[in-house]
Amino acid sequence: MSNARRKISFQLNGATVSATVENHHNVVELLEQFGLRGARESCGQGLCGCCTILIDDVAVSGCLQLAAMVDGKNVCTIEGMQKNGELDPIQQAFIESGAFQCGFCTPGFVLMTQQLLDRYPDPDDDQIRSYLSGNLCRCGAYPEILKAVRLAAEKRKSAATA
Amino acid sequence: MSPFEIAEPATIADALALLSGDDPDIRPLAGGSALMLMMKSGVFRPTRLVSLRRLDEFTGIAATPEGGIRIGAMTSLAAIEHSSLVKQRAPVIVEAMRRLANVRVRNQACIGGALAHGDPHLDMPPLLAALGAEVTIVGPEGERKVAVADLYVGYYQTVLAGDELIREVSIPSLAGRHTAYQKCTTRSADDWPALGVAVNLRAGKSGISEARIVVGAVAEIPTQLRNVEMILQGRTLDQALLAQAGEAAAAELSPTSDARGSAAYKRQLVKVYVGRAIAAAMDVVAS
Repeated sequence: MSNARRKISFQLNGATVSATVENHHNVVELLEQFGLRGARESCGQGLCGCCTILIDDVAVSGCLQLAAMVDGKNVCTIEGMQKNGELDPIQQAFIESGAFQCGFCTPGFVLMTQQLLDRYPDPDDDQIRSYLSGNLCRCGAYPEILKAVRLAAEKRKSAATA
Repeated sequence: MSPFEIAEPATIADALALLSGDDPDIRPLAGGSALMLMMKSGVFRPTRLVSLRRLDEFTGIAATPEGGIRIGAMTSLAAIEHSSLVKQRAPVIVEAMRRLANVRVRNQACIGGALAHGDPHLDMPPLLAALGAEVTIVGPEGERKVAVADLYVGYYQTVLAGDELIREVSIPSLAGRHTAYQKCTTRSADDWPALGVAVNLRAGKSGISEARIVVGAVAEIPTQLRNVEMILQGRTLDQALLAQAGEAAAAELSPTSDARGSAAYKRQLVKVYVGRAIAAAMDVVAS
């Protein structure tokens, strides 16, 4: 069934890669081909945020994206967030705030926080709650996550003025 | 999901040729958020998806000379949410977006798909119907225009043929209008609504001169509350009128029971939310 699969090439965390995908595979399945398991298919319906990835700098649910459609796109996952062995300030803020227990939802929260701070560099709690309402943490670390997002905003601001 | 073909035509003519008027397993793909759910659950097993993402004629948000807005079908809900033009000319749409699903879904889902899907639990169909919007549909016979209010004929059923596409939606000028969209979600904040109420009023010193109220999610298609509209006609808003409108709305509708609420519960929701939505449109507080 040659028309049910295709070869695609795309940017993955800054590197040009190619892959052969089945048309019915989603992006979480595609990332598994590259050994990337930070985006996890959990609810499978775009509701929980565990499979959050950025495609052309826009946060989407990897489980609702057909792998074939990322051909030519720029895909960023949690694995691409650290730079030169240094964690991103958002990741650092989550650690310092203890904003997780099991960590299953954390990659999604970190990537959504990046989107949030790109749009609203100095968010109030309502904006944070509203923006992250589509990410679920079953350990219930929400108060710490709120704290982590506020801390991440501070870290970004001081990094920008340093 | 089972295997299928994906086509990515670059012209409307090619897209229409790849679609089929009578094969339900061939469908257009816009943002894909809703279709993916149907494919994953096995409700929809396509043989071919026709992606519309290369169709330049389907994108963009533009002002019309009459004071309205035209939005290309492939425009994401997020692009509409963050459009300064939409904020200026139809702020009610921006407000509705803030509580529609979540950021990621709004980044992916497109307005054309949100209208063509025909799922009664979506927010844009009742809202755009109440605003008097119309869609431009392209098909083998050419173009035709249909009011969003006339787009739906049943559960997941629209007047669109299998080989027709919504190209754009056009929203008339809302100058001098009082508008609001209120919804109730019963399972989580970003759930599909158990009820959505869209209100579009014209009002002056002599009271309400024009009213359009459309309710979503309680029935198989968005439903216009014509009795409530008549009750409001010529009246000045007060708490008694809000209560009367709520009672009339509950009497006019026959809600269906589903996972988001029983028929009786939804009737109570209608009673409360119709009053609240009218009050919000007129910027008063419902007691």
